[in-house]
Amino acid sequence: MAEKILSAKTNIEVTAGDMIVTPVDLVFAHDGTMPLAIQQMDFLGKREVFDPKKVIGICDHASPSPSERISNVHNFMREFARENKMPFFENGDGICHQIVVEKFAAPWMTIIGGDSHTCTHGALGAFSTGMGSTDIGAIMAYGRTWLKIPESFKFKVTGELKKWVYSKDVILHIIGEIGADGATYMSMEFLGDTIDRMSIESRLTMCNMAIEAGGKTGLCIADEKAKIFLESQGRGNEYKSLSPDKDATYKEELAIEASDLEPMISCPHRVDKVASVAEVGEVELDQVCIGSCTNGRMEDLRIAAEMLKGKKVAKDTRLVIYPASRSILIQAVQEGLIETFLRSGASIGSPGCGFCIGRTVALGDGEVALSTQNRNFRGRMGNDNSEIYLCSPATAAASAITGKITDPRGV
Amino acid sequence: MIIKGQIIRVFPKDTNTDEIIAGKYKYDELDIKKLASHAFESIDPDFYEDSQKIKKPIIVADSNFGCGSSREQAPLVIKACNVSCIIAESFARIFYRNCFNIGLPLIECRDISHKVHQGDELEVEVDLGIIRNITNSKEYKFKPIPKFMQDLLNAGGLMPYLNAKGGFSEQE
Repeated sequence: MAEKILSAKTNIEVTAGDMIVTPVDLVFAHDGTMPLAIQQMDFLGKREVFDPKKVIGICDHASPSPSERISNVHNFMREFARENKMPFFENGDGICHQIVVEKFAAPWMTIIGGDSHTCTHGALGAFSTGMGSTDIGAIMAYGRTWLKIPESFKFKVTGELKKWVYSKDVILHIIGEIGADGATYMSMEFLGDTIDRMSIESRLTMCNMAIEAGGKTGLCIADEKAKIFLESQGRGNEYKSLSPDKDATYKEELAIEASDLEPMISCPHRVDKVASVAEVGEVELDQVCIGSCTNGRMEDLRIAAEMLKGKKVAKDTRLVIYPASRSILIQAVQEGLIETFLRSGASIGSPGCGFCIGRTVALGDGEVALSTQNRNFRGRMGNDNSEIYLCSPATAAASAITGKITDPRGV
Repeated sequence: MIIKGQIIRVFPKDTNTDEIIAGKYKYDELDIKKLASHAFESIDPDFYEDSQKIKKPIIVADSNFGCGSSREQAPLVIKACNVSCIIAESFARIFYRNCFNIGLPLIECRDISHKVHQGDELEVEVDLGIIRNITNSKEYKFKPIPKFMQDLLNAGGLMPYLNAKGGFSEQE
């Protein structure tokens, strides 16, 4: 599918390994990567972006700004966005990937983001990948970038997932199987009837974590579900179906039987150190986090609320919940989920990256966290002397109630 | 191009960008020289100081070096520690692009992390694909860097390359 999109984009029949220069339909960066991209544009003697409708900036990482230094960095971005009359998303609007999913991403697009989790948008059938600030600066100036066409890795997921087992458990299982470099520079294509039945939100969770196995992008077919999702965002006219050719070739393939899977956990300090909740045992938790570009959407919040309704967070454990965008927070308020969370003892954060990168609610020395985010590297949540476990929203909510890592099927 | 230098460290498999430069520093500091003093801090607190004592430090690593985030601060702080090149079994791909974009050479050489030691003096013939270990007189071969990437290095990075060419051509 990656070859199909990039062939259409460049009007050349490309195959894996080819070096191409491709037009970029959307380029975005956030407060961690855009300032440097703007500085890099200076080297080109450029301050004007190639197309102000196709370049967007977002304040989501150190957001809301925790210091005067960062406020000044944010202002540097705001000024650039104003000058260029390009869309700019403020503190509290949400995480860059969620904003792109809601307002911009569509099948067959080429999307480049200044963030490694840009692979997320393959869930809508876009070729979407993360790059560093110099690449972003060059794209902002010229609207093009060079790429090596990736090989494809097919993941065929079939069968019914058990109750309280989700797409997060599937992707953690996959990363555990193939390792942190198991799909280096490959397009990870998630196919099979289990994926077909998944919501777009669940597919976004899968594609979001492709980079944790080294993937260039994650991709799902664009089907009726993608069409309905785009219609719900008022962008139904941007839908165009995408599926692999019947004779598509893959460098590697892995088959997964969904009904065999249990709730899974990534253990410190590696995403590919994966075990079932039962194998990990009852690890005591100081903080539980629900949110992020991986699992901060309505589906995730509804699962967590179902688990937390009428229950209290354990006495010595803190639960923090960050909806992934402003529109998700509004809907969660309307559905009463936020009241459920607040009554359970959780604190609610401003939509953004929040806890995931330790810019807010950073961990203390020796503390242990369980989070629905995508990465658990040492120091990720702001403290080198802390430990992070990763899981699904159901496992996180169940564990917040007991104060230790807990199988959601037992709560 | 010939790069001469001394191995400052041999890093393990999957050394990630959070370990190279922690997220807690990268948002606050746009001055890369200052940021560089925190390079590898969580896994190797002496790295920065040692990098100031060696003339042309070379980093050697096992596979998947630089995995994780797209932060360009990771290769930038390594470059700001005067590192002349990184030789690893393999690199994560965003990091790989970022390094060539800023003019920092990367060499992919099979099993290198098990063949050399910290302190060894190396001479790397980038164009020929040969690493000479001056310390023990051994030689290791590697697949030369693709031409486009060599062009980037020779230009000094992506921005000088684009400046010279006036943008991207249709096919590289």
